[in-house]
Amino acid sequence: MSAPLLSIEGLRVGFRNASGGLVEAVRGIDFSVEPGEAVGVVGESGSGKSLSMLAVMRLLGSPARTTGGRVMFDGRDLLSIDEARMRAIRGRDIAMVFQDPQSSLNPALTIGRQITDVVRAHRRVSGTEARRIAAETLERVGIRDAGKRLDAYPHEFSGGMRQRALIAMAIACRPRLLIADEPTTALDVTVQAQIVDLIAELRRDLGIAVIFISHNLQLVAEIVDRVVVMYGGKVVEDGPVEAIEREPRHPYTGLLQACVPSLTGPVGPLVTIEGSPPRLGRMPQGCPFSPRCPRAESRCETQMPPLVVDFDQRFACWRPL
Amino acid sequence: MRDLASTLRLIDWTGWLGAGIVVIMVCAAIFAPLIAPYDPVALSIEDRLLPPDMVHWLGTDQAGRDVLSRIIFGARASLAVGIGAVVIGALIGVSAGLFAAYKGGLGDQIVMRIVDGVASIPLLVWAIAIVGILGVGPVRVGPLMLPNEIKIVLLVGVLFSPVFARVTYAVASRVVGADYVRARWLQGATHWDIVTGDILPNCLSPIIVQGTLLVAIGIVVEASVSFVGLGVQPPQASWGSMLSDARSAIYSGEWWLPVFPGLAISITVIGFNLLGDAVRELFDPRSEARTLVA
Amino acid sequence: MLRLVAGRIVSSLGTLLFVGFALFALTRAGPGSPARIVLGADATAAQLAQFEQANGLDRAFLTQYGAWLSDILRGDFGRSFVTGRDVGTEIVNSLPVTLSIVLFAFAIALVFGVGIGIAAALRPGGVFDRGARLLSVLGLSVPAFWLGIVLIRFIAVDLRWLPPGGYAPLSAGLSAHLQTILMPSVSLAVYYIAVLARMTQASLQETLRGDYVRTARAMGLSSPRVVAYALINALPPVVNLAALSFGYMFGWALIIEQVFNVPGLSRALLNAISQRDFLLLQGIVFLFTVIFVLANLTADIVNRVLDPRQRVAA
Repeated sequence: MSAPLLSIEGLRVGFRNASGGLVEAVRGIDFSVEPGEAVGVVGESGSGKSLSMLAVMRLLGSPARTTGGRVMFDGRDLLSIDEARMRAIRGRDIAMVFQDPQSSLNPALTIGRQITDVVRAHRRVSGTEARRIAAETLERVGIRDAGKRLDAYPHEFSGGMRQRALIAMAIACRPRLLIADEPTTALDVTVQAQIVDLIAELRRDLGIAVIFISHNLQLVAEIVDRVVVMYGGKVVEDGPVEAIEREPRHPYTGLLQACVPSLTGPVGPLVTIEGSPPRLGRMPQGCPFSPRCPRAESRCETQMPPLVVDFDQRFACWRPL
Repeated sequence: MRDLASTLRLIDWTGWLGAGIVVIMVCAAIFAPLIAPYDPVALSIEDRLLPPDMVHWLGTDQAGRDVLSRIIFGARASLAVGIGAVVIGALIGVSAGLFAAYKGGLGDQIVMRIVDGVASIPLLVWAIAIVGILGVGPVRVGPLMLPNEIKIVLLVGVLFSPVFARVTYAVASRVVGADYVRARWLQGATHWDIVTGDILPNCLSPIIVQGTLLVAIGIVVEASVSFVGLGVQPPQASWGSMLSDARSAIYSGEWWLPVFPGLAISITVIGFNLLGDAVRELFDPRSEARTLVA
Repeated sequence: MLRLVAGRIVSSLGTLLFVGFALFALTRAGPGSPARIVLGADATAAQLAQFEQANGLDRAFLTQYGAWLSDILRGDFGRSFVTGRDVGTEIVNSLPVTLSIVLFAFAIALVFGVGIGIAAALRPGGVFDRGARLLSVLGLSVPAFWLGIVLIRFIAVDLRWLPPGGYAPLSAGLSAHLQTILMPSVSLAVYYIAVLARMTQASLQETLRGDYVRTARAMGLSSPRVVAYALINALPPVVNLAALSFGYMFGWALIIEQVFNVPGLSRALLNAISQRDFLLLQGIVFLFTVIFVLANLTADIVNRVLDPRQRVAA
C-alpha cells in the first residue's frame, strides 16, 4: 500500500482560558487521506472539525493552538517545519476555502488580482502569464467570459460566483489537496448543489484530493469516498461512505443520518437529536455523546470507548448499532 | 442594568487616574480663592522671578506674582471655556439633531446641511479671527458684564455642536421609524415621552464620551487663544497667557515659568482624555478609535 | 463615479458660500465701521459717507458679499482700506512660509503616525503597541505651542543645534530652510502622529481579523502581501482622518508660528486683527476655510476610489 497523502496522527488543539488552564477542543484525532481521495469530515458546530483543519494548515488564530500530534504530508510533519516552508505548501500543495465567500474575498481588489497574487506567490511567471492562468482557472470553475470577469470586484459577483472564485484561487496552482470548510453553508440551496458538483468534477478531472467539511452527512455523501464523523473533539466513526450510509455503527452517526428528511425515501417522522453538544471544558469523562445518547449505559459516562476496527470501518462506542 | 459596584469595577486604573485629575482640577477652579496661597494678581517688585522654594512652591513671575496661585486661578478660565463650550455645543447639537430627525423632509435637509457647513469650519482659525475682530473687551448683557471668554465659549460651542447633532440625529432617526415607537404613539405617548424615554437614553453614552473628549480640546483652544493675547485679558491668570509671558524666560533660564503652566494644561488634558476613554470603554467598547481631531 | 464626485464638489461649493457668508457677517459685526477705522474718530459724517460710497460700503450687505466673493473667484482679494496694499499679494507673500511648515509637519505625521500604527497593530503587546499607547496619551495632551517652547529651550538654547526661531526660505538653501522649519513642524506634528497612529492601529487590527486575510494566508501569500491585503481595507478611515488633520494643522500652525517667530500667515492675521483690517482678515480666514473644505473633499473622493463598492454605487 502506498503512503497516504496526508496523515493526521493524534492531533490536539486547545485554548488557554482566562484562568490559565488549557481547554482542549480537539482531543487526539487520527485519520488519513489517500492521493486523489475525497473524505468528508462531518459533525455539528463545536465538534472540532474546522479547528482541526485550521490546525493542519497552521492557520489557528490566538488563543487557539496545537497542543499535540503530527500532521504528515510528503513525509514531513507540517507541525514542525518552519513558517517559510509552510507558506510555500499553502496554496501550492494544500489549499483551503472557507464558509462565507462574501467575507473571504478581499472587497478592495479585483477577482483577477486575487487569483494572480496566488499564482505569483508560488510560481515565477510574468504578469501576463499569471493573468492567463487566472482566466483559465476561472473558466475551469465554470465562470463564463472569464477574461472579462477578472476585472470585476467581489461585490459584483453573486454568492455562488464568489465561491467559485475562491475555489479558483485555491486550485490556481493545482494543489494535491483541497480542504473545503463548509463551502456551501452560506449559499442558496440550488447553488449549493452546483458548488458540490464543481468540487466533485475538479477532483475527478484534476485528481485533487478533497477534505470536505460539513455538518450535513447527506450532502457530503454524494461526493466523497469516505466519511469521518467527529463529536466532542474526537473521531467517533470513520469508514467508506457506503458502509456509513448503509450500516452506521455509532449511535450519533445513525441519528445524523436520520436527521435530514430524504426526498426519495419513505416519509417518516422528522428526527432531531435531543440536547446540545458538550461545552468546551465541560466534556464528560467518558464518551462525549453519552449525555445525549439514547443507548447510553453507565459505562459510557465514565469510560471513553476505544476506536475499534471492524473490517474497513472504525467506531468508538461501547454499545454500537 | 448592571449594578453600580460591578460597573465601577470595569474601569481600569487609567480611568480612575483621569477621574481623579478631573475632580482635583474642578475643585481647584471652584475653590481657587480658598486654596491659592497668594493673590494671583498682586504685584510685588521685590519678589520678582523667585525660583521655587518653600515660600513660593512654584516660584514667581516677572511681576512678582505667585505662579502656583496663578495656575490655580488659571484653572477657572480653562475649565470654564472647556466645559462651557461643550455644554453649549451639546444644547445646540442635540436640539438640531432632534429637530431634523423629527421633522424629516425639507427641514431635516436644511438643518443637517447647516450642520455639515458648521463642521467644515476650521476651529482655531475662526476662534482667533472672530474674537480678534469682535475685540477682546467685555460684553454687556443687560446689567451683566461678561468677560471676553464668553465669546470664545459661544464660538467654540457652536463649532463643537455638529459632533452632538450627528450623534443625536443618528439615534433619533433610527428610533423615530421603529415599530415600537409607532406603537407608543398609538398608546398616546407625547413627543416629550418619546424624546426623554427613547431617544435621549440611547444617545446619552456617545454624548458623554464625545463631550468629555471635547472638553480636552476646548481647554487647549482656550490656552492657544489666550497665548496669542485674544483670550483671558491681563491681569487675570490663564495658562495660555502665562505661557505667552514665559516666552522671554526661555532664554534667561527661569525654567519654572514655562514648565508649570504647560504641565497644568497637559495634566488636565490627560485627565479628560483618560476619563473619556474609560467612559467609552464602559458604554461602547466596540468603538475603538477616537475620531475626534482638532 | 463622476457624477458622485461632481455632487460632492457642488455641495462643497455650497458649504463655502454659506460659511463665507457667516464669516463676512461676523467681521462686520465688530465695533466700528471700516470707514470710521480708516478715517479716525474726528472724521465728519460727510467724510464717512463719501468713503463708504467710494469703496462700495453703502451697498446692500448681500451685494457687498456677492461682490467680494466674485472678486475672489477671479483671484482678486481686494485692496486693504487700512494699508492700501493688495490683500492677495500679502497672502501670497506669507502663505509659502505657513505652507512649508504645514506640509513638512503633515509628512512627518503621516510617515510616523501610520508607520507606528501599522507596527503596533502587527505586534499586539509589543514595543510599538505599548509605545503607541503611551504616545496616544502624551501626544494628545501636550499642546503644540508648549512643546515648541520646550524644544526651543533644549535644542536651540542648551544644545545650540538649531536656530531658536526665524525663517529661511527655500531659496536660501535646503539645509537652511529645513533648519528653520524642523522644530516648528515637529511641534505641530506630534499631536497628529498620535491621532493617526491610534486610528491606523485600531483600523488595521480590525481588518487583520477579516476572513479575506485568512484566505490570503491559506493561499500561501507572503506576510507583506497579507498585511497589504488588510491594509488596503484599513486605509479609508485613516485617509479621512489624515485629510481632516491636514485642514486643522493650519490652525495650530498659527500658534506655532508665534512661538518660533516665523513670518507666516499668523503674523499677517494678527496684524490684520490689530489694525482692524477686515479685508485681509477675511481673505486669510476664507483661504484657510477653503483649504479645510478641500481637504475634506479630497478625503471623500480618495475614500471612494479605495472602496470599489462605493465607486460603483453611483
